[in-house]
Amino acid sequence: MLSFIAQRLGMMVLVLAGLITVTFLMTQVLPGDPARAAAGRNATAEQVEGARERLGLDRPVPEQYVSYLGRVAQGDLGTSVFTQRPVSDDIGRVLPSSVELVGAAMLINIAVALPLGVVSAYRRGRAADLAARLVALLGAAVPVFWLGLILQAFLSARWGLFPLTGHLGFGASVPAVTGMTTVDALLAGDLAAFGDALHHLALPAVTLAASYIAVVTRTLRSTMIGALDADYITLARSTGASEWRVVLSHGLRNALVPTSTILGMQLGWMLGSTVLVESIFGRVGVGAYSVTAVLQNDLYAVIGAVLVIGVVFILANFVVDLLQLWLNPRLRRGGRRRRAGADESAVQAFDLAGERT
Amino acid sequence: MSAHPTQGSPLLDIRGLTVSYPTPQGPAQVVRGVDLAVAPGERVALVGESGSGKSVTARSVLRLDPDARTGGRILLEGEDVLEMTPREVRRVRGARAGLVFQDPLASLNPVKTVGWQITQPLRIRGVGRREARRRAVDLLGRLGVADPDRRFDDHPHQFSGGMRQRVVIAIAVIAEPRLLIADEPTTALDVRVQAQVLELMEDLARERGMAVLLITHDLGIVAGFARRVAVMRHGLIVEEADVDRLYASPSHPYTRSLLDAVPRIGDAPGRRLGAPVPATTEGEAL
Amino acid sequence: MSTTTTPAPARSAGLRALLSRTGGERRGHTTVVDRIALGTAGLMVLLALAGPYLAPLDPYAVNLPAALTPPGAEHWLGTDANGRDILSRILAGGRTTLLATVAVIAAATVIGTVIGTAAALGGRIVDEVLMRICDVGLSLPAIVVALGLAAAMGPSLQSAVIALAATWWPGYARLVRTLVREVRDAEFVESARVLGVSRTRLVLRHVLPNSLSALYVQTTLDVSAVMLVISGLSFVGVGAQVPASEWGAMIAASRDTAVTAWWTVLFPGLAIAITAIAFNLVGDWLRVRTDPTLRTGGRR
Repeated sequence: MLSFIAQRLGMMVLVLAGLITVTFLMTQVLPGDPARAAAGRNATAEQVEGARERLGLDRPVPEQYVSYLGRVAQGDLGTSVFTQRPVSDDIGRVLPSSVELVGAAMLINIAVALPLGVVSAYRRGRAADLAARLVALLGAAVPVFWLGLILQAFLSARWGLFPLTGHLGFGASVPAVTGMTTVDALLAGDLAAFGDALHHLALPAVTLAASYIAVVTRTLRSTMIGALDADYITLARSTGASEWRVVLSHGLRNALVPTSTILGMQLGWMLGSTVLVESIFGRVGVGAYSVTAVLQNDLYAVIGAVLVIGVVFILANFVVDLLQLWLNPRLRRGGRRRRAGADESAVQAFDLAGERT
Repeated sequence: MSAHPTQGSPLLDIRGLTVSYPTPQGPAQVVRGVDLAVAPGERVALVGESGSGKSVTARSVLRLDPDARTGGRILLEGEDVLEMTPREVRRVRGARAGLVFQDPLASLNPVKTVGWQITQPLRIRGVGRREARRRAVDLLGRLGVADPDRRFDDHPHQFSGGMRQRVVIAIAVIAEPRLLIADEPTTALDVRVQAQVLELMEDLARERGMAVLLITHDLGIVAGFARRVAVMRHGLIVEEADVDRLYASPSHPYTRSLLDAVPRIGDAPGRRLGAPVPATTEGEAL
Repeated sequence: MSTTTTPAPARSAGLRALLSRTGGERRGHTTVVDRIALGTAGLMVLLALAGPYLAPLDPYAVNLPAALTPPGAEHWLGTDANGRDILSRILAGGRTTLLATVAVIAAATVIGTVIGTAAALGGRIVDEVLMRICDVGLSLPAIVVALGLAAAMGPSLQSAVIALAATWWPGYARLVRTLVREVRDAEFVESARVLGVSRTRLVLRHVLPNSLSALYVQTTLDVSAVMLVISGLSFVGVGAQVPASEWGAMIAASRDTAVTAWWTVLFPGLAIAITAIAFNLVGDWLRVRTDPTLRTGGRR
């Protein structure tokens, strides 16, 4: 168990190092003068020279890499040329809102995909299965941003079922404590605002969840089919267990082991996909922030956002790895099966690589 | 074939059982009219090679295969299992007839503790957690699992093959069924452990007055265990006799060929003595 | 047909798991759905080649008086805010979108094959180092890394393609490594080695061809995923630039008219979705056809 945690911790450090290296490379592949990019398009010659010195761009690359590591370790992600504020402050302010959106999308994802996957596997080949597979097929093929625009055009603009954009109705506000509108509304004891915030959250969250629902449904369906064909299912039946118990306590409980890994990785991917969703629905968040930064050529802001999303992604995966200890007893104590467990996760990781959107 | 006279009315009475499966080429008839009776407390062996229909016959008693199309009657304590509603079948499973599977590696749920799995047949019938645990620990101890109270909370992967099969037996018998169906219970185990497991099942059956229907492809393990043997081939019972008579003078050529496959070194008939010729792939572990 | 619960043939579990990712087990024969999917995918490929010549109108011709015409006899799929014919733009833009997708997959496959083969056939240390690099690559969210890289290189379709290829190869490297290792240990390779075939020849003539079928299944299944990300990158502005008729960029350019003129957004998105579905189905079909263990159908 300890060796498993140590191994995962080591992996996490490795991936973090990889992420930082990749973002460092982003500062290096710039066409033209990185100092000018850091200082901004309209900077004076002195400002550009100042940036060059401050960032150590006149020094050799390895030295720059070390000082970059040092700055990132201190949480210094550079200064936004657009807002003229530290990138870390800007991102810190918008991140909670993205976390709120991702959380809502994840809840929708689980609430839809788990029943769909289970029913689909249990009623293989029947109507429910075909419906679930159709959902999976469509969800995996529809562009997120397009789905968002279409839902907005029809459900909001045309039929007025949902608000068009924003976090709250016009003129409404709640005291910002956490930066998540729903939570802040509850903290303020304002139930009307809470309902309003949920109403605003619904379409963006559904949009964000759609493609992930497809992946989870599909994966759960196939792992569930494997589980339901296992001998221990027949054994459970032979003791007189009800079908509910057989399917949930035995089938789903086993299928959850790989499925939870996928859900964990999806947390990170969802945060990445906010890039495609937030700006459509006029939401504040790290995704909308990075899109704006791209449009404004605000390179350090873009790289900062990449770094923050990457770190959240890596932390989420680590937490899910720890969750595996609880879900998969074979990992807890060493034993003959350990090797098999490691191979399984490798296979899953690949599966996921193919599924990322 | 002579219906063997048994004392009183039989516990299990299979009459004219047919089983077929739908395939794209039309229904495949796997069991073609089997008659077999097991008296209370009796130990009967159903022998045949892979594909003879013996496992399908055994599973039909608990109606474990939803795809199977069945005909005939399976009377368990006088009630026809094939006529029961799903709810009634669930009440039979585990409580009136228990099943032991051939592959202890695959038949235990890897993510649940063995204790949880053993107590399930009791828990789903309303026995309290503490009482269920007490009875499971007793049973594990009785089945020769050392330190059963501690092993109760272990997971299947922490048990050896023989120990796992004891756990599977515990699951099958904890709700005290009057009939135990053992489907190739020793095939996946190594030879030394095979003898132990058979002996445990025999002792347990004696103590509880429990009848056992042993399904196997290996006549070598039958002799010391069952009094009566039915030999099955191509979905039919081709010979049924007392074990001694069968060994001494098999009347059907197929029975003779099965007997020839049993290695005899020294003092037969007893426990199996040598490694069997692996006639099937059924025992392949995962 | 076996009557007892015979275990499935002990073929490599790893390969099966890799290939069964879509989960829909089907018989080996080609269904009507498969035919439609094959037809659609073929049509899309044709479009990539001939689309610009099929376009009824000039996809770039601005015609402001005809701006935002709803779908009708003159413009079957309507016009956008600049009065450009949407059908013509979709036909012309298919080439851009599909070629960019193919470029990403081709580059990722080549890099992945080289690295995966090196990992499988090199020593333990080579294998370990390369696989850890793959782990890192697979542990980063592709769209975000690609967004950053493309932004850093300067927004353009080429940047998006390069950035995405740079984030996509580790999956292929891992697949190729698994496949090569499996084939490497197979009997016929063993016998070829005994016969004295050289190592290079062994790899080129025996190992790679046997691994390729699983690889092209994977590439087909990846078409839709890559296409979605490419168009997403265009949508946020780091891919194809306005006024290109690339499908994602078309949606991006029309996002302000989505509410008032739904057709400006609906049809380019449908083009993406239909292509993605077609390639997913074709991938599934190929997978079932090339993997003998999936072909039998039935309950097991």
